[in-house]
Amino acid sequence: MPMRCRIRAGIDTLHTYWRSPGPGTIARVTITKGAPPPTRNTPVALARGVLTGGVIGASLAAFVGCVIESVPLCVTGVGLPAVYGLLFFLAGVPRRAREAAVPPRTALARIESLEAVGGEATSDVAVRFDVTVAQDDDIPAYRVRFTQHINLADLPDYRPGGVVVVQYPPDRLWRVRIVKRPTPEWEERAAGARLDPAPGPVVVSEPSAGCAVGLVTLLALLLAAAAVILVFRADLFDKDNSVQPPSSARPSVSSTSSTSSTTVVSSASGTVALGPGQSFLDKGELRRAVDSLTRGKGKDTGRALTVVVQERLLSVVFAPTGSQAPDFDPGSVPYERFPALVEEARSSLGIRSPKTWQITTDRLTGSLTIRVGVTGSDGTASLEADGKGEVVRRTPAR
Amino acid sequence: MSWHEYLVLWCAVFGTWALLGYGLSLAGVTRAQRAVRVMGRIERVREPRHGSSQQDGIPVVVSFQDPSTGQELTVTNDTDHGDRINAAWTGREIGIRYRRGRPHAYRFTTDLSANRHGRAWPDFAVFLLYVGLVVLAAIDWGWPWALLGFGVPWTASVALYLPQSARTASRRIDALAARPPVQGRVVAVLTDTSTDNEGITSTGHTPVITFTTHEGTAVTAYCPDGLPDPTNSYGRDVTVHYTPEDPALFTLDLASEHRSRTSDIVFSALALAIGATTVAVGAVAVAL
Repeated sequence: MPMRCRIRAGIDTLHTYWRSPGPGTIARVTITKGAPPPTRNTPVALARGVLTGGVIGASLAAFVGCVIESVPLCVTGVGLPAVYGLLFFLAGVPRRAREAAVPPRTALARIESLEAVGGEATSDVAVRFDVTVAQDDDIPAYRVRFTQHINLADLPDYRPGGVVVVQYPPDRLWRVRIVKRPTPEWEERAAGARLDPAPGPVVVSEPSAGCAVGLVTLLALLLAAAAVILVFRADLFDKDNSVQPPSSARPSVSSTSSTSSTTVVSSASGTVALGPGQSFLDKGELRRAVDSLTRGKGKDTGRALTVVVQERLLSVVFAPTGSQAPDFDPGSVPYERFPALVEEARSSLGIRSPKTWQITTDRLTGSLTIRVGVTGSDGTASLEADGKGEVVRRTPAR
Repeated sequence: MSWHEYLVLWCAVFGTWALLGYGLSLAGVTRAQRAVRVMGRIERVREPRHGSSQQDGIPVVVSFQDPSTGQELTVTNDTDHGDRINAAWTGREIGIRYRRGRPHAYRFTTDLSANRHGRAWPDFAVFLLYVGLVVLAAIDWGWPWALLGFGVPWTASVALYLPQSARTASRRIDALAARPPVQGRVVAVLTDTSTDNEGITSTGHTPVITFTTHEGTAVTAYCPDGLPDPTNSYGRDVTVHYTPEDPALFTLDLASEHRSRTSDIVFSALALAIGATTVAVGAVAVAL
């Protein structure tokens, strides 16, 4: 190879070997000029990425369990990342123990530049330093960038061109930290030192994880989330169907394809509440509702004490068996006359803007009485009708 | 699982942990027992800069000897090295502990014999086990057992603590008043600003005083309380009462020491009364 090419190859990449203070290990670090730092795409990193993505995706999707009210799934969604985090932590214990056993190296460094970055309103400022770390041996000086919190009162001590004492672990050159209180020996050395800046933009930084790991993590996340949702899709989508769609505009001829009424029946009373847009004045609605309440009740138990009808609410109070109170058969009430009665009460009783109406049917006076009350801004008015639905008395608004 | 089963599980877990911990401690293999504990000597003290932070303590240079290698090491109290050094003078002895073979991971400690037998975690496990047993007894046998279970240890510990603390307080006050006071000066006021979650900034001020004892020792110490208006106290002259055996124990106001001893006794007596009442009520309820 010609001489020029060899020199260029030598300058482009510097490989250095030295002994770390540990038990005779040799660390090899690549200090690359200009080129990006080497990426880490080892199988271990990829596997870890897959696991992490899978756990995150599965636990996020497991919150679906809270929707379908499946307690084990919900608990898994919380417990799985916790357990994984614990295992991850435990797996890192040997590595951390190994790193802690190695004493850090102390060296002098020349500040090339410093700038404040971010920070809150505290007395500590986050400062990004760009320093040249000098070594004693024949290891070349190198530049590194790091961020450290410095107290405002101590900031004037650090100026571009000044020399400071730094510490770093021998196996991770990029983890440099300024020593704010050096020992007297290092203080003297820093005071008397004159350091040259490192030649050229040689920057040591942490080897970053490769693109592949990130991509694989994302893929695993999506796949795990999809898998969990797929497994539980039956429960999810069945629940959606059980929620009934609300009825549309109020029909003049009641079509009974889908109703959204709520019926509550007990032995003592029955209530039917209609959905929005429906009314008990619609043709056949009332009869149908009363039939649904009396269905299943015999001749004795199906007798009512009162029947109260409002725009969207029907309530029937059934007579307890063996009661002496006057009761009646709710099916014998002339419901077909109710719309006409309400119309008459609204128009002919002197209420200018009627708002609500209520019909109470009972047999307290001995014979079936239907009372129609209308309320408006002027007050209330009522009329009474007999068991055939014909008006017998009017009480206009006062 | 019902509450009962959860509680049994709780007791089982912490009982096992305690047994394991005590076993390890007996065998002498706990980390606390294998740690190296040495006394270091403060070689140099520097005054903190006015306006800096009080987090790192008084800047000192300490020298100690690693017993296994015989190597002399000189270190400083940079960030994160154990207890904060609040009072320092040249020649003061300060405890240092570190894992065997790792003198670079040293930590300062004011009490060198703390946890010497490595029983701190098993003791805590026993406490949690006891709490679980008391709750179990309360659920199975009735609430009076909860009163008894918590009242008896409470009363016993207060009864033991009260005379001891009264004696210690009297001894300290006597020691503080033994020698005439000396003059000192506030050489710096350290400021720490912090913002909490709602964005409210709070500032703390810690004055630093220096004084020279009758024996000629120049002491630099934090004085967090006892100074009226600490924010503007820079350069103020103060009168310091100190204990001759340990100048780190000092006060600027002897009268407040008397007051705090009285209130200490009052509160202890109150705690004793509450504990005794709880035990009595519980015992009566159980007997009935």
